[in-house]
Amino acid sequence: MGKLRTEEFQVNMGPQHPSTHGVCRLLLTMDGEKVVDVVPHVGYLHRSIEKICENRTYAMCIPVLDRFEYVTAMSCNYVFALAAEKLAEMEVPERAEYLRVIMLELNRIASHLIFYGTTAMDVGALTPFLYGLRERELIVDLFEMTCGQRLTYNYIRVGGVSRDIPKEFVPKCREAVKIIGEKLSDYEGILNENPIWIARMKGIGLTDPQKAIAWGVSGPVLRAAGVKHDLRKDDPYSIYNKFDFDVAIRWNGDCYDRYLVRLDEIRQSLKIITQALDGLPEGDVRAKVKAKFKPPAGEVYVRIENSRGEMGVHLVSDGSTKPLRVKTRGGSFNQLQYLPEIVRGKGYLIADLVAIFATFDIILPEVDR
Amino acid sequence: MTRDELKAYIESNFVGRMTLLESGKVEPMYEIKADDLIEVATKLRDDLELKFDFLCNMGGVDTRERLEVIYNIASTSKLHRLDFKVILGYDSPAVESICPVWPGANWYEREMYELYGIDILNHNDLRPLLLPEDWDQGHPMRKDWDAPDFVRMPEL
Repeated sequence: MGKLRTEEFQVNMGPQHPSTHGVCRLLLTMDGEKVVDVVPHVGYLHRSIEKICENRTYAMCIPVLDRFEYVTAMSCNYVFALAAEKLAEMEVPERAEYLRVIMLELNRIASHLIFYGTTAMDVGALTPFLYGLRERELIVDLFEMTCGQRLTYNYIRVGGVSRDIPKEFVPKCREAVKIIGEKLSDYEGILNENPIWIARMKGIGLTDPQKAIAWGVSGPVLRAAGVKHDLRKDDPYSIYNKFDFDVAIRWNGDCYDRYLVRLDEIRQSLKIITQALDGLPEGDVRAKVKAKFKPPAGEVYVRIENSRGEMGVHLVSDGSTKPLRVKTRGGSFNQLQYLPEIVRGKGYLIADLVAIFATFDIILPEVDR
Repeated sequence: MTRDELKAYIESNFVGRMTLLESGKVEPMYEIKADDLIEVATKLRDDLELKFDFLCNMGGVDTRERLEVIYNIASTSKLHRLDFKVILGYDSPAVESICPVWPGANWYEREMYELYGIDILNHNDLRPLLLPEDWDQGHPMRKDWDAPDFVRMPEL
């Protein structure tokens, strides 16, 4: 019998594929059912946020940036406010800093819960999705109680936060922390030892720490490859140096470790929130900011640890009421451009690619801006 | 290294190659000449005291007087951070691709090429990234860019 003639062919995965978490087209080169190469095509969600920000006052930029990475909109608010405050060399009241940390960490947990749910759903388990969203609801309710919004908060402003928390917030938040802490063992119970989950996750999508750093990969993806790098510890901002928490780390750099790192991070975030609630001081929640806020001419780059890695803003001011340049940086951007490196030539199946994409926790609005 | 140590180290080891700019009052901002970029960047990455192995961010800036390319780099082992920029004129702006030093620059450069019209020399792939493939309306992030439905907010 003669040798069977085979040839490579190309398949479009997306732009409307449910596992691409937004709108992303992956152009796959296939050899049978093995993925030979993948080329991401992005830009479907490009809303030119940076251009819009150049045409708005500083206060108006914050609700626009909510849409930059809407799963953790608090971080987007915060990183811009931090940059503007740094340029204007402004002091923020202590209570506001505490509230910011509480909100940022709650948002991190909410984001990781979405990760937990959608990743499991992408590889075929529907129950974890319901679990994850059920507990996320507790957090979203807290946000709604505080600022009236459930997704795009516009809460953290230049100089502090927009308003104080209602008096029911602290007991409700403690209750949510308690519930999520308890439910975490349920989450682990349903997936950690699950043979299908392990078969789909272990040893898939191995990242190399040195290469990942060179490609600008950060956050849980980098920490799952054994690099202890967390900006909350390494380049502390806000009041994170006041809290006692550990940096979650794993060593294998596969999908399974990326999943475990995020669950560990939820635990650490709960720890931070508890400490912040205990230490929450009384006082103002916003520094005095002029109606026409004009930071002096200059430029600054600030970065924070978001749930998807390093989030940063390079803010350039020319001394007017509008920023001259707002260059945003999100973790997903670098993770997505690193994706072909770990898939190319490894002989993964499309199903593996789905798992890798999900555990990289890429969200497309952050890539496209 | 702390910020002041880093400043002193750069001053003594990069004489004439990295110039401190006035715009970096809050955080030091250096200028690197375009034709010196790759050499200095490689040195910043490979210097055992600096070890800038991580490119946080890069992008174009249009200041209405000139174009700039900003680079924000950091070290994951030494934990310090540095900003520098390359200053270009409006007349056929071009900058060398920094991908050989930090491969993560690839998409940032593609983005800069389409949004600012800054040519990237020796880049392996300059397909449009964020804009549609058939985009023919110029470079939208330029300050003088205009479109019929683009309204500028008046100065308050």
